[in-house]
Amino acid sequence: MPEYKAPQRDMMFVLNDIINVSELAELPGFEDATPDIVQGVVDEAAKIIENTIAPLNETGDREGCRFDNGMVTAPAGFKEAYQLYSESGWTGLDKSIDFGGQGLPYTLATAVSDMLCAGNDAFSLYPGLTNGACEALMEHGSQELQDTYLEKLTTGEWTGTMCLTEPQAGSDLSQVRTRAIDQNDGTYLIEGTKIFITGGEHDFVDNIIHLVLARLPDAPAGVKGISMFVVPKFMVDSDGNPGARNPVVCASIEEKMGIHGSSTCVMSFENATGYLIGNANEGLRYMFTMMNLARLMVGLQGLGVAERATQGAIEYAKERKQATAINGGETIIHHPDVRRMLMTMKALTEGCRMVAYDTAKHYDISKAHPDESVRKTANDRVELMTPICKAFATDVGCEVASLGVLVLGGAGYIRESGMEQYIRDAKIFCIYEGTNTIQALDLVGRKMKMNLPQTFIKEMINDLAAESGNDELGFIVEPMQAALNLLDKTTQWLTAAALEDPQNPAATAVEYLTMYSLVTHGHFWIKAARAALAKQDDDFYKGKLATARFFTNKILPRIYGLAPVIMAGSESVMTAEEDWL
Amino acid sequence: MKILVAVKRVVDFNVRIQVKADGSGVASDGVKMSMNPFDEIAVEEALRLKEAGKAEEVIAITIGPKASQEQLRTALAMGADRAIHVETDEDIQPLTAARILNAIIDKEEPKIVMLGKQAIDDDNNQTAQMLAALANWPQATFASQLEVDGDVANVTREVDAGLETIAVDLPAVISADLRLNEPRYVKLPDIMKAKRKPIDTFTLADLGVEAAASVKVLKTSAPATRQAGIKVETVDELVVALKERGLF
Amino acid sequence: MTKVLIIAEHDGKHINGSTARAVTCAQGLSAESVEIAVFAAEGTALAEQAATLSGVTKVLLIENPANEHALAAVLAPQIEVLASEYSHVLAPSTTFGKDLTPRIAAHLGVPQISDIMRVESPRIFDRPIYAGNAIVTVEAPAGIVVATVRTASFSEAETTGSATIEKREVNIELPSHTRFVKLETSGGGDRPDLQAATKVVSGGRGVGSKDNFNVIYSLADKLGAAVGASRAAVDAGFIPNDHQVGQTGKIIAPELYMAFGISGAIQHLAGIKDAGTIVAINKDPDAPIFEVADFGLVGDLFEIIPELEKALA
Repeated sequence: MPEYKAPQRDMMFVLNDIINVSELAELPGFEDATPDIVQGVVDEAAKIIENTIAPLNETGDREGCRFDNGMVTAPAGFKEAYQLYSESGWTGLDKSIDFGGQGLPYTLATAVSDMLCAGNDAFSLYPGLTNGACEALMEHGSQELQDTYLEKLTTGEWTGTMCLTEPQAGSDLSQVRTRAIDQNDGTYLIEGTKIFITGGEHDFVDNIIHLVLARLPDAPAGVKGISMFVVPKFMVDSDGNPGARNPVVCASIEEKMGIHGSSTCVMSFENATGYLIGNANEGLRYMFTMMNLARLMVGLQGLGVAERATQGAIEYAKERKQATAINGGETIIHHPDVRRMLMTMKALTEGCRMVAYDTAKHYDISKAHPDESVRKTANDRVELMTPICKAFATDVGCEVASLGVLVLGGAGYIRESGMEQYIRDAKIFCIYEGTNTIQALDLVGRKMKMNLPQTFIKEMINDLAAESGNDELGFIVEPMQAALNLLDKTTQWLTAAALEDPQNPAATAVEYLTMYSLVTHGHFWIKAARAALAKQDDDFYKGKLATARFFTNKILPRIYGLAPVIMAGSESVMTAEEDWL
Repeated sequence: MKILVAVKRVVDFNVRIQVKADGSGVASDGVKMSMNPFDEIAVEEALRLKEAGKAEEVIAITIGPKASQEQLRTALAMGADRAIHVETDEDIQPLTAARILNAIIDKEEPKIVMLGKQAIDDDNNQTAQMLAALANWPQATFASQLEVDGDVANVTREVDAGLETIAVDLPAVISADLRLNEPRYVKLPDIMKAKRKPIDTFTLADLGVEAAASVKVLKTSAPATRQAGIKVETVDELVVALKERGLF
Repeated sequence: MTKVLIIAEHDGKHINGSTARAVTCAQGLSAESVEIAVFAAEGTALAEQAATLSGVTKVLLIENPANEHALAAVLAPQIEVLASEYSHVLAPSTTFGKDLTPRIAAHLGVPQISDIMRVESPRIFDRPIYAGNAIVTVEAPAGIVVATVRTASFSEAETTGSATIEKREVNIELPSHTRFVKLETSGGGDRPDLQAATKVVSGGRGVGSKDNFNVIYSLADKLGAAVGASRAAVDAGFIPNDHQVGQTGKIIAPELYMAFGISGAIQHLAGIKDAGTIVAINKDPDAPIFEVADFGLVGDLFEIIPELEKALA
């Protein structure tokens, strides 16, 4: 198992040179997010993650979670590592000061998640799901619910879950059947079965707080009749401590392809007591509060697994001697195709980091900027980038993890190398919190109706114009001009084709999202190249510039394979009758 | 009782340093900098003494450029109460560092000064001893265990012959070895609190300290590397090879 | 005029081999005189041993009950009194010398040069920095040169000399603020001293436990070797700290160094760079130790050691 070292140099590069993180300290409420705090947060989080959480990645995978009579035991060391992590205050980084958090920007939480996910993707889910629960309670919960739950969730003393999926209600939440009966005393009785509940049961904490989608008896059909409830594992007594056991039990856990350290539970609500969040029948909207953050987090999981696979492959390629390369090098890193794979891994991973951190910064602006129009613009960007961060970064996670095994050759296929785990872990990131298809449909559907992709294409074209006189950047600016023109053209075609036949965008959404993501990466690689050009006496920046060139020549052109595929529409996809398959 | 802990900003121990081709030093552009690991152990020990009720205040001090404040913030986040930054862009060698620390001793009158046994950049292993000499205090170097009992510290030292215990009257200078403790992980709320803890800044002139004559570095070179030899397949082969060299 | 004073390291009975290595370093200074100072409670026998070191011109014996244990705070002021007659004051770069020498330098108001590994001229030396990953050539400023000598860089001086011995009294008040309490040695028995041994057998994390270390001791005894260890083995409690070889332990230069179950962290390699022949035995064929080993053998140390012992029998 390759040792994880937080890529602090690259993280600080993105924070400082790409997104100018210091601007956040100028926003009201974020005055503490000064450069020294940013550096301190990254340094200290790196230490605890590298030394205590990352080493559990492989053992967690081997050992997995154990289920016995309703109880789940996480792999050895997870509980202690979780306690150290939460007691050290990391779970509350970007949470409200009113509930024991530190009130720092989400951008910093993103940097920490980048490391946490890379260090141990399975582990990252326990605090990760809690974040979503906190956010939903913060935005929509009553004062009483907030006072009861938020502090303990913020400090990580308790964890949270999102209970959405049911056997018949996966991507389609209109099928949710779990029932809620009003007891007319401020409580509801919740009855039903939820599946695929991450962290539904485990042994880390004294209480687990489930946020549950359920239906009131008189609710309208479909998604408009879904309400959200808080269901604690243990009822909370008047002192705020866990009391009587609430009948919400873990019926079993799933045997999965990967993320073995994360418990994936079947949760049975047997007339458990719950509390309504916000208004009845508005649960889906509240759910999206959790879901949008969860999608960004899953994108970071994709980035994390890509980072870790890249580190493992580069380290191996620098040591492994096998057949003298054409350039005379002894180690396999000198073989052009190994180099091609490593550069692909590096370029895609670093590109995802730039997009993720930039989106996080826009998220902070959308929350904290004093000017409403600035907040709105920033929020639009987050809306646009959420499917891109989620779907493309997790596709990258799979591609890079797969290349990582290939770089090691036969050794990569052997468990001991640690590399095959990354492939198994990475696959789920493309699936949960809305499959990558759902993300793509969101992009070509809702987001395109809001005109968001079109607006950002214009912005990228405008930014590019500012660089047009810069000869040193010509290597990327010119190809990006062509790429943006093609993306613009493809977008226009898709908009028109959607009116002709709604199957057109549906059948090409995934390719469109990939194309859009690649051009977006190019937009950030221009920024990276510009920053790197100024500092060419330093190997890090030399590598950055070289990676920008590689991206331009070897990755960006993928769009020329995608554009005609998209513009071929749905016809050849749908022509075959069901029976012909 | 006050404890003064000296910390140094050094290239992080994980960084593989590279000697510059022109022999002018080691490449340090953009390299990750950290608190000297032995100093981190010294800070931890001071904090444990405070937590055990043996000391009232822990003061961290560093000598170096503006950026060294990052390491003071780390010490403050670990739990030091306040910090002193002696700001200078000059290369400060151990004797000058000891003079500066001695001047601070006069101001602060700590009972214990703790330092790491050596900095992992220049590997000098001198400052604690020099400070003890200048202050005319006892020294307990390479400490692997420390017990403070009233005005006496019993210190177990990692020496070549084993573990030596000495008793020193306080005030004293103590230098930390690897196994003295394992430094804690910094808590996030403490990073935030550290921002609000005071750092006093002085120059050498403020303290009335003159730099000592220094050792001049004429050039820096890469060490001669050992070449990998051969892999033998069997014990017999190994024994033959060693016998040929008269070693077996 | 180069006149060198070397502070002898001893355990009350024997002058330590590292002192003889410092004498060799001193010879490279083209000195008129190389004198050794022996501080002890009763040191006649020690002084006689020091007098046999080739190249030593005189041995100073400073007897005082306060000198029974080598306490830097007690020795340094006495050396300060003697030092004015010399151009150079040297001590071996052992925990003894590292503890003492900076205190002398500070008393004299001069900087110290740590870990001399090569003498270019009486004032210009090479020394390692960054755990030996870089070497600096340094020049001492005017005044007395106070330095420690990296013992692994110099061989021991021959013992064919017969220097005169001169008793000295240093009449100053010595501090009582520092008191020796005890010394716990790991009781190596008859095994040679790690820093002086010509052969060293060393074990790492791969040895697995304190009990398993017996196989290392066993082979060492059959070879007449000292026993060393990696930091990982010491930290794991397999063996006491005084066996640690490496940057923060002992830096050694035996003729034969055999590493069993040691992966070869850079800090460990810093301690064995000057060994004559390095043999590495490790299960992991990619262990970094193989990159510096003259002879590497991939395999299980618990199978290999008995075979080696058989070959010795």
